[in-house]
Amino acid sequence: MELLNDIKIALLPESIMVLFIILTAVLSFASGKDRQDAIFYVSLTGVTLALLSMSVMDFSGEKEVLYKSFTSNYFTLVYRVIILAGTIFTLFLTKDYVKGFGKNKGEFYFLLMTASLGAMLLCGANDLIMVFVALETLSISSFALCGYTKSDRLSNEAALKYLVFGAAASAAMLYGFSFIYGITARTNLQEISGFLSTYEVNSILIIAFLLVLAGFGFKIAAVPFQSWAPDVYEGAPIPVAAYLSVVSKTAGFAVLIRFMTVLFPGVAIFSIILATFAVITMTAGNLTALGQRNIRRLMAYSSIAHAGYILLGLAILTNDGITAMTFYLITYLFMNFGVWAAIEILALATGKDNIDDFSGLGKKYGYFSLGLTLCLLSLAGIPVTAGFFSKFYLFKAVAVAGYEFMPVLVITLVNTVIALFYYMRIIRVIYLKPEPEIRHERVFRIALPVKFVMAICVAGVLLLGIFASPVIEKSGVINTTSQGIAVNQPPVSSQPPLLTSSPCLLTSPPLLASPNDGCGY
Amino acid sequence: MEFLSLTLLIFLPLVGALIIVGPWFPRNEVKIRRFAKGFGGIVFIYSLFFLAFFNPQEPGFQFNETVALPGGKPWLEPLGVNFSLGVDGISILLMVLTTFLVLLALIASKYSITKRHKFYYSMIFVLQTAILGVFAAKDLFLFIIFWELELIPMYFLISVWGTGRKEYSAMKFILYTFAGSVFMLAAILAIVYYNYLQTGILTFDLNTYTYMKAFAYPTVFGILTFLGFFIAFAVKLPVVPFHTWLPDAHVDAPTPVSMLLAGILLKVGGYGLIRMNLQILPEILKILAPLVIILGVINILYAAIIAIAQKDLKKLVAYSSISHMGIVLLGLGAMNVAGVSGAVFQMMAHGIISAGLFMVVGVIYLRTHTREIPELGGLGQNSPKIMYFSMIIALGSLGLPLLMGFAAETLAFYGAFTSQAFSGFNLFNIYVPVSIQVFTAIAIIGVIFTAVYILWMFQRVFWGNMFYKWKKFHDASPHEMVVLISLIAVIVFFGLYPEGMTSIFVPTLDSLMKLI
Repeated sequence: MELLNDIKIALLPESIMVLFIILTAVLSFASGKDRQDAIFYVSLTGVTLALLSMSVMDFSGEKEVLYKSFTSNYFTLVYRVIILAGTIFTLFLTKDYVKGFGKNKGEFYFLLMTASLGAMLLCGANDLIMVFVALETLSISSFALCGYTKSDRLSNEAALKYLVFGAAASAAMLYGFSFIYGITARTNLQEISGFLSTYEVNSILIIAFLLVLAGFGFKIAAVPFQSWAPDVYEGAPIPVAAYLSVVSKTAGFAVLIRFMTVLFPGVAIFSIILATFAVITMTAGNLTALGQRNIRRLMAYSSIAHAGYILLGLAILTNDGITAMTFYLITYLFMNFGVWAAIEILALATGKDNIDDFSGLGKKYGYFSLGLTLCLLSLAGIPVTAGFFSKFYLFKAVAVAGYEFMPVLVITLVNTVIALFYYMRIIRVIYLKPEPEIRHERVFRIALPVKFVMAICVAGVLLLGIFASPVIEKSGVINTTSQGIAVNQPPVSSQPPLLTSSPCLLTSPPLLASPNDGCGY
Repeated sequence: MEFLSLTLLIFLPLVGALIIVGPWFPRNEVKIRRFAKGFGGIVFIYSLFFLAFFNPQEPGFQFNETVALPGGKPWLEPLGVNFSLGVDGISILLMVLTTFLVLLALIASKYSITKRHKFYYSMIFVLQTAILGVFAAKDLFLFIIFWELELIPMYFLISVWGTGRKEYSAMKFILYTFAGSVFMLAAILAIVYYNYLQTGILTFDLNTYTYMKAFAYPTVFGILTFLGFFIAFAVKLPVVPFHTWLPDAHVDAPTPVSMLLAGILLKVGGYGLIRMNLQILPEILKILAPLVIILGVINILYAAIIAIAQKDLKKLVAYSSISHMGIVLLGLGAMNVAGVSGAVFQMMAHGIISAGLFMVVGVIYLRTHTREIPELGGLGQNSPKIMYFSMIIALGSLGLPLLMGFAAETLAFYGAFTSQAFSGFNLFNIYVPVSIQVFTAIAIIGVIFTAVYILWMFQRVFWGNMFYKWKKFHDASPHEMVVLISLIAVIVFFGLYPEGMTSIFVPTLDSLMKLI
């Protein structure tokens, strides 16, 4: 009965996912090879139901379930919504892409939904074991997804590379967990947090933190754990690459945020480490992206660079920074899926994925090119697209965190200039290069589901920019349920209205277990 | 909504762009152009109403307007950003200049734009929205938004319809401007944070930082912030070490876009200097006045000397633009009403005159397909109208009395000469007793150089013997006549009656300089 209650108060979406995962698995071997397309609708129903089920749940306050190994609160709600929305986009992208998979289409949906389940559990994982299990659920499914086009050499290479790097990263992370367990003798994050609050930061804890960061850094593709990304994005099926660049990354950030806010709130040394990682990540990503000719490799480096920007929001250790990260991830979902949808349209029509293959598209496919251009400009951070607002909000959060972050901010700003160059290069090819004679002799039809994703993404990119205010308020995941992580909170005399540092906690430790007013969302 | 709404004025061109670009609009070139011209005319007339109802004697911003989200909340509440607009005596003039020049550029587009008309005219309108937004923004965040919004249309306008190394030039333009603007972004965030530390209020409202500023910034902080702003505007103006994008962009852009680029986009830089550097950080400008003045003098002289050596007609005009923009810096560095008024007047005058010069170059290029000055010659024999119109514009450019350029330059030089900004400055701990008057005297030499390159150019192009190949060089067409005569009318009118312009912006500057 306790399990049923847990499901009711916290795990409803996950339970729906599990049901539909089983259903998908059964259908994929029970139905004939030629009727596998129906599984698409089944899995789409499942994910949509999971998304809808969140609207009936109550997310105010903290709910610890499954023997305290999972926490459900407003923070996990927002991240689970991002993950499920990304999964729905991926499903739509897959609809026409699976034709290239041969006859085994059913398992693809099964694996995709399993990966999403892992990602959702990762957002709320409240126990080291749970973190590991959820991460591996996500990872192992992703490995299989990467190698799904069996006959493609690049796809196989991608899967193997991803597997090897993933295994190494998991091992490092587990090693880090063992250090944490060695220090605290606990696996529950709350209890560890309670223990560490009186524990002075020493070298062992820093080593543990770095090892754990290796595991999560692999998921978010932060330098120096990024080297799998270009090959995997190039070789994996396009919907999978899109999925990895958004959903998997969002899950990685979610768990990283929880780790930082629960275990190490306001430790300055970790702020320095994260800021260093962020700066190196964005600079390396942007500089390497400059020389890329393949659009998928370029998007891989661009996603590395974006990981750097987002990481900056965590490095500054303020609530505002985490709000900025969340808002950034929401906009990133739209702009990145828009570009990947465009890549898929081109790949389905011509089978090519070099930047030069985009030449002449602007004249022939006006709306498609306009949509792709808007998404690229959004990635570059040009107004009035959503990317500008999320970047600006992030930069504002960094600036307000204190003058010691000014050099980091300036490096980041210079990075955006570098990034503009390679995004503009794609736009230049689309609009300015004449179209090659051999191609496009016939007008290709853009598949409806991909068109749908593209339309939603472009609408998101435009509307999230202009009506950013309500979305930023909704992404204030920590603002309302804040732990005292704000070491760099400026010494203001009067309380500013926007940066409430209310005494409510992200995850209430036992001593403050009473549900706090004002935490509610 | 009131009849005179700045929001409407700003977004009216965008509406025009949407009408043109949509599938409902016919693809017929003539229809698109006629609609665009008509729409540009409507925007221009609408902007004249603002000028007519503007009260110069009233200090501060007028036509204030704040657009809120449905439900009465500010536009971006978590950021402390309001969608608030307003104009003062300087920005109202620049806005009217913008609508005027865009209208003329649309008329001038008839011959130089031969492909992708829908795209072209919609981009011009998007550009107009962005520039009007920059001038009307009363919020630092809005200022940045519109500032960066103008990059994309400008990129396409140069790279699609340009000539020569157009893609390279367009990319150079966009990267230079964007690189400059990120420094401005950093500076804005720095002052916003400073204000937040002092008062606990997060706001991007311009008035908080200018008119009613309650505190002075620490010197080092102020200098860094000042430089952040200055780099952004120096790229745009352009100031000499950051100017290299300008000759490329001007030369490779089509004629109407060159007109807009020189006529308005450079003014955005000057406007930024007056709006941000002078009003937000006046105490730092007092410290750094020698730097600004020296850069201004270098601008005037260096660009003028380079212009003398140019063989390409359009490059010559481009360098003359840089040289004339040095006068804006000089006037600004003078830090008195006359000097800053001169800077504003020079911005207006140069906007009209350089647009005229680029129009003349475009007219010649259209007929000869060359811009090399040695290739031309004697063009005046067949085309007296073009020659006389060009002469008035060229004389305006070199600052002949009774034309617009003279009033501007005189005002700026007078301001700089009577200024007490500094009588000497410390250079690496050595006191250099060189006052602003000495620099002004040096800068005035630039006027001689200007006369040299303008008159020499004019002589080589229009006078002398005519090459046989230009035998069929025909005189101005009605479209060109309209553009040139409108520009000349403005040049002559405000040359004879500068009071008409100064009476609008000088009261604003008066009240401004009193506060500084």
